[in-house]
Amino acid sequence: MIRRITAIAVALLLVVPAFVFAGGQAEPEGEPVQELTVYTTTESYDPIRYEAAFMIADAWEELGFQVNVSPMEFSSLLQLFYDEQNFDATILGWSGRVDRLDPQHFLGTLHGEQTDLGANNPGGYVNPEYDELFVAQSREFDADRRREIVMEMQAIAADDNPVDVLFYRDEVVGYNDTTFTDFVVMAGESLYNEWTPLEVTPLTDDRMLTIGTPQEPDTINPLDSTSVWGWKFMRMYYDKLVRLSPEIEPIPYAAEEIIDIDDTTIDVVVRSGMTFHDGEPVTAEDVKFTYEYFIDNDFAYFRPFLSDIESIEVVGSDTVRFNLAEPVASFITVTLSQIPILPGHIWADIENPADLAPDEIPTVGSGPFRFDQYDRGEYKRLLTFEDHFDADRIQIDGIDYIVYADSEGVFTGLVTGEIDMTAWRMEPGQIEIAEDEDHITVVSVGDFGYYHMTYNLRREPFNDHLVRQALSYAVDRDTIIDVLLQGLGEPGYSVVAPINAFWHNPDITRYTYDLDRSRELLEEAGYTWDSEGRIYAPN
Amino acid sequence: MHHVVLKRLGQAIFTMWIILTVLFFLFRLGLPDPTVALVSEGLSPEDRARIAARFGLDRGIFTQYFIYLRNVLSGELGRSFHYNAPVAGIVGDRFLNTMALMLPAILISYLVGPLLGVLLAWKRGSRLEVGGISGALILRSAPMFWTGMLAVMVFGIWFGWFPTSGMRTFPYEAAHFFDKIFTLDFLHHLILPATVIGLYYLGLPMLIMRNTMLEVLGENFIEFCQARGMSPARIMYAHAARNALLPVITQLAITIGLAVGGQVVVEVVFSWPGLGLEMFNAVRTSDYPLAQASFMLMAAIVLMLNLVVDLIYSWLDPRVTYTAAR
Repeated sequence: MIRRITAIAVALLLVVPAFVFAGGQAEPEGEPVQELTVYTTTESYDPIRYEAAFMIADAWEELGFQVNVSPMEFSSLLQLFYDEQNFDATILGWSGRVDRLDPQHFLGTLHGEQTDLGANNPGGYVNPEYDELFVAQSREFDADRRREIVMEMQAIAADDNPVDVLFYRDEVVGYNDTTFTDFVVMAGESLYNEWTPLEVTPLTDDRMLTIGTPQEPDTINPLDSTSVWGWKFMRMYYDKLVRLSPEIEPIPYAAEEIIDIDDTTIDVVVRSGMTFHDGEPVTAEDVKFTYEYFIDNDFAYFRPFLSDIESIEVVGSDTVRFNLAEPVASFITVTLSQIPILPGHIWADIENPADLAPDEIPTVGSGPFRFDQYDRGEYKRLLTFEDHFDADRIQIDGIDYIVYADSEGVFTGLVTGEIDMTAWRMEPGQIEIAEDEDHITVVSVGDFGYYHMTYNLRREPFNDHLVRQALSYAVDRDTIIDVLLQGLGEPGYSVVAPINAFWHNPDITRYTYDLDRSRELLEEAGYTWDSEGRIYAPN
Repeated sequence: MHHVVLKRLGQAIFTMWIILTVLFFLFRLGLPDPTVALVSEGLSPEDRARIAARFGLDRGIFTQYFIYLRNVLSGELGRSFHYNAPVAGIVGDRFLNTMALMLPAILISYLVGPLLGVLLAWKRGSRLEVGGISGALILRSAPMFWTGMLAVMVFGIWFGWFPTSGMRTFPYEAAHFFDKIFTLDFLHHLILPATVIGLYYLGLPMLIMRNTMLEVLGENFIEFCQARGMSPARIMYAHAARNALLPVITQLAITIGLAVGGQVVVEVVFSWPGLGLEMFNAVRTSDYPLAQASFMLMAAIVLMLNLVVDLIYSWLDPRVTYTAAR
């Protein structure tokens, strides 16, 4: 339907420029621009990216380009994009994983040293000024100074426009406002973040917070889990040295204090008086053991967080010293906040943690909740750990997690009152119903992952930044969001999303839909059109 | 007799091999690369290659096929990509949950269905028969995801009489599987999904029973019964029905076999933690070993029950032979 409407619109609009350009235009010079191919996902994998590609292609055709849309099976698409770099323009996305709240990862996707086959900058953008700032920010420990550099980088990237950030999706979730209050909302994590269980206040005698999830943890082996469903569950019963506050600020948690002795030496003072759920004390030795254990076992998921650690030593009775190979600003925000503290007295005997059978996996942590029960595919329960240093603020007795078959099941659970909050976004049809229900409050939070159109800067015409800007002005972001996302999203413009407020730069170039501006830029770049509106590259 | 058994067994094994082969290639050619499912978007190629190697996906497809056949023969069903745990344990649990849903549903429909079938044959030509046949066809044709959703909406949400998901209320203490299912709470959770499935299954035994009854009613012994002055109800239920029951029992065996896989849609609609839901998830996450094992289990049990029914038939009725066809 959408396609048909746009097809008619295109048919009409193709006629109009033909008249406009037939008028005062001289004979075109040079060669017609060869056909461009836009790669995207298949319709069944993601109808949004699929439809968006056709909408964008239609707009580019209005500018006189010949465009072919090529939907591809997802793994082949990744292969073509990352491993072969054999594309003109590709629509893909980056998911908003917590460790990507630190700007390092997303800024790195435009870093000139990541243009090799398989690396994160397949478009091949290289700007020495940007690269210099990238290195500077990654070594800058002072958050405010680092923030200035990060902002400047976003401005440079927006003008050069090697990657067109298309949109950020909204996550819409709901909770039962008659059973609990004081829910915490966090960027990218919505309600299902690590602070909600610590902050919620029960409004009834039921002091168990019940969360409905549409999927099961892949595993509860803390070294082996690669999904948010595993991580978001485990982080409640394991502690971390640093947790990110709801405002995405790193705050020492199981660490009492973090001292940067110099750029490559970080001392972490472990909070005193902590115990594991089996009663054993949490010591600096446990922390050292944990990091070394993660490094030794080398699971792919954690490798990037740990690769800069050269050695770890215990200094004094309660301090762990990390010696880094080079200064890494994201060490505190990412490395210290991603690794759960394991009890050394239990894990030291496990030689190969990848081989643990599901019922052999230890569940002893030192977190604010302790592991109680797990019936695979159905139910999980954590109980408040009264001896935790943060237990005083906890108003609930524990957390029940109910696993449903899909988001429809979760939604029904919310409507019938079986659960108190949803862990996953609601579908557009459900949101309307939820808004009409008296006991449900609907919350909408932006994502910090983004969908993008990456241009291959090694190829014409994408090697010209004016052309890239022109092509981005032809993207009708509002229609993509209103029609394809049913209004649940924000137009994109920076690789650091607005929801990531501390690092985001709102004052950069935005490409709002304007085909006249596109034509001006193309003219400025020396492009011309023939009497049929076909675009020609300058000689 | 012995060579019949051997021959049927041989055929069953051959069929199973075909099924195993089809399953293997179907999954590898039809689904996206599982490394995509294993990791989030944007994982580096080295990491993808490492994960592929860990699950043996870096080898040639025929090498994978022979490893797979060898493993299946030695009872090794592989490791789930998604859960990174042996498949057998995962499938085993799910299988029991599915049976706890399917068996009561099927047994009730095969108890009630034939009784109604007798009634239809008895009241042949009446409005009751027309209504009964239409009803059976409607129930048989209504898709279960739809009847299931209606049931959730009406009895779960509007009236709030029954829970809408899962097989028990949490938290829950159960020492073993039978602790889980012999409770009132389980029954409460069972009623909606089992009714939806039971109503769907009801039509078939009902119509089969009616048709066979019509044949049986034409036979001589019915007249003898009437001549002896028995009441119509006694003739119908005590004498005619007994003779018409055999095809229904055959159908029951086949239905139970197919039920092993559960009713995927019903398990999804009611979040019933059974094999069908696990198959749904396995396909969704491209978890071949798990999906394969689920389908394999289903195929094996259908084949086995068919074999048993065939053999019982040839034993019960010597006219059924397998040599004549040669």
